[in-house]
Amino acid sequence: MLKRFLISMVAVTVLTVTALAQQPTPPKTNLKVGDPAPDFTLRATDGKTYKLSDFKGKKNVVLAIYVLAFTGG
Amino acid sequence: MSVDSVPANREFAKQIEITFPLLSDFKRTVVKAYGVFNEEQGFGNRATFLIDKEGIIQRIDEGNVAIDPTTIVDACNVLHRKKTSP
Repeated sequence: MLKRFLISMVAVTVLTVTALAQQPTPPKTNLKVGDPAPDFTLRATDGKTYKLSDFKGKKNVVLAIYVLAFTGG
Repeated sequence: MSVDSVPANREFAKQIEITFPLLSDFKRTVVKAYGVFNEEQGFGNRATFLIDKEGIIQRIDEGNVAIDPTTIVDACNVLHRKKTSP
């Protein structure tokens, strides 16, 4: 009885580990702390266009990238 | 910023009642430049970059760490104090 339980536990563990290993790892950025931030010009919801380098010497910038609109991310 | 179109982001902003503007990287050029483009899914992965006044990256949060804005706000405050103190 105990042996059967242990065997099934091992099987569950193996399946879990396999499932985790198969999850695609999201690509990581190649940028590092200390690198210059690539400049960009983008349109915004207020109708204006924002250029990163326009903030140079004026403000620190937090660039927050979220996955998609209408999602929790 | 996301890869959604400006109209989609505008509707999203209205729904979640935010007042600040959202940037649209519809052509995926910025997510590619920042190395967070998820080719399989076609969107940018969740990430936060803190860029100082000189245009230098001071902090990078990727994935689920980037959901909670507390750490990046703290880092931003530290940076602000550091640069403004004599």
